[in-house]
Amino acid sequence: MYKPLKRLFGALVGIAMLGMSAQALSEPLKIGYSDWPGWVAWEVAIEKDWFKEEGVDVRFEWFDYVASMDAFAAGQLDAVAMTNGDALVTGATGARNVMIIINDYSNGNDMIVARRGINSVADLKGKKIGVEIGFVSHLLLLNALEKNGMSESDVELVNVPTNETPQVLASRNVDAIVAWQPSSGQALNMVPGATAIYTSADEPGLIYDVLAVSPTSLSANRDAWVKVARVWYRVVDYIQDPATRADAVSIMASRVGIAPAEYEAFLDGTKILTREEAMEFFKKGDGFTSLHGSSKIADEFNVANDVYKDPQPVDDYIDASITGAL
Amino acid sequence: MNKPWFAVRKELSPRRRSFLAVMSFVLPLLVWSLVSYVPFIWHPQVEIIEAGEVDYFRTGMLVDRSVFEQERETLRAEGRELPTGTRTNPVYLPAPHEVATALYTAFSTEPQRRNEKWLHESLADSIQVIFWGFFLSSLIGVPLGILAGTYVAVSRLTEPFVEFFRYLPAPAFGALAVAILGIHDAPKIAIIFIGTFFQQVLVVANTTRKLDPALLEAALTLGARNAGLLFKVVIPGVASDLYRDMRILLGWAWTYLIVAEMIGASSGITWFITQQARYKNFDNVFAAILIIGIIGLTTDLILAWLGRRLFPWQRTARA
Repeated sequence: MYKPLKRLFGALVGIAMLGMSAQALSEPLKIGYSDWPGWVAWEVAIEKDWFKEEGVDVRFEWFDYVASMDAFAAGQLDAVAMTNGDALVTGATGARNVMIIINDYSNGNDMIVARRGINSVADLKGKKIGVEIGFVSHLLLLNALEKNGMSESDVELVNVPTNETPQVLASRNVDAIVAWQPSSGQALNMVPGATAIYTSADEPGLIYDVLAVSPTSLSANRDAWVKVARVWYRVVDYIQDPATRADAVSIMASRVGIAPAEYEAFLDGTKILTREEAMEFFKKGDGFTSLHGSSKIADEFNVANDVYKDPQPVDDYIDASITGAL
Repeated sequence: MNKPWFAVRKELSPRRRSFLAVMSFVLPLLVWSLVSYVPFIWHPQVEIIEAGEVDYFRTGMLVDRSVFEQERETLRAEGRELPTGTRTNPVYLPAPHEVATALYTAFSTEPQRRNEKWLHESLADSIQVIFWGFFLSSLIGVPLGILAGTYVAVSRLTEPFVEFFRYLPAPAFGALAVAILGIHDAPKIAIIFIGTFFQQVLVVANTTRKLDPALLEAALTLGARNAGLLFKVVIPGVASDLYRDMRILLGWAWTYLIVAEMIGASSGITWFITQQARYKNFDNVFAAILIIGIIGLTTDLILAWLGRRLFPWQRTARA
């Protein structure tokens, strides 16, 4: 009885020490990402081992979107892929972050999908809408309502995880849902007669998808993050070069577990940005054609709608110098 | 063979026993097959073959039967081209053969990327999470339960709090677990632990209390005291019942797997289930659920067999 116990104890101590020494030896940059074309694109670099070629030690962790922000907020990640609006929400609720890479802007993948009979945003008045409250879809909805002279009080919101929006619309418990691909597309497929009455293509630049880094990690590992950005633009070239695009798409499709042909459609709703384009959007300015302007608008929306209380210092959330250093 | 099938608490012949055991699986499968293959039983939707002149119908689209009929009526009244379609079940209920195919494909599909895993490797990850969660819980829960079942003082000191804590939903500790334990297996193991441990202490304590008092009295008369009483009488006395409890509790731990694996970085069989559900491949989802069931049942059968060898004197361990 005694000997096996001693052995077990030894093994446990061994495992613990192994864990600690591994941590002390090398600490890769931990990046959380989730199912969105502009972020799944990182998979190309992971598969091709480009981070190693660039000499930067990173570790990508795949999450559900909200879980990835939770893990970042809990201090378990150095960086997380999120939208600029959610970067502010995450920052306002405790995990300050700096957006250093603009992957893309949503160009139609985020949608308000309404059941048959509702043909415009104006028709939503007094209707029930399924949306993940406090996150990017909520912002898109508020933007659509405002453009049509309404506000949140004109509709009834039902808090639904984005993954489950297709089923919820199919169940007829709501009249419309807000989601991004693949959930928005699934909702269109599953609910006969459903249409997208408003999409991010109606307001390009409302939703930028970015890599947001914790300020601590950014100041401690500046060079490493520049290397990460360099790898990102290698990925962008690989996707945009007609000769290699098919390979890129097949890697991305395999990450999410569907056929490459099916995945092409998702890429169409995502405007992946070249470095030159991204630098344009990094410039300070008003309106949706600047990351600053877009984030400023998102901030005002968030405060006005009680997503959080205090306006955020938007400029502190944006650092163009990493992308600029390439 | 002329004995009645329904006699209160009378053993059945071995042939009848195995027959019924097989039927317990065949019957649900039969119901599933009937619902899947016989159109007039359920099939609440219609899969469009020809859209006709309904502007929003598309070939392959699933619509509710009432909607389909209504559109047909409208078009017939106007004398326009009618849509056609076959009755079908909703996408959430794939037919048995579709799930069987999915089961085979899921295991035989080679990983396409370097960091992708075979399905059996993901399963192995899940089993490890369960194992460690259950092992760590038992490491503390079983001794504590036995002590609480033996000594009233220990029982009064622990059980009120344990009673309180067992009502707290384990998944609610997810965010805290991630903050403290990171994003990989540790927080998942912690959720399984929380989900199992508190029930375990109570179950083990109750089982220990049920030990035949005659055994204790006899031992006391013969001069057994404290440690001797505990190790020579109580533990051997309840061992076979505890073993049975552990089998039930292990099943309990499995039911926490999916919520546990939702926490932190996606992994294991849950990653497969949620990802496939997101793209509405419900044949794969059902296949994965079946796998969990099969693993659970197999483990239990092995443990039951082992139990018969460990405790040959216990006929009830046969259940």
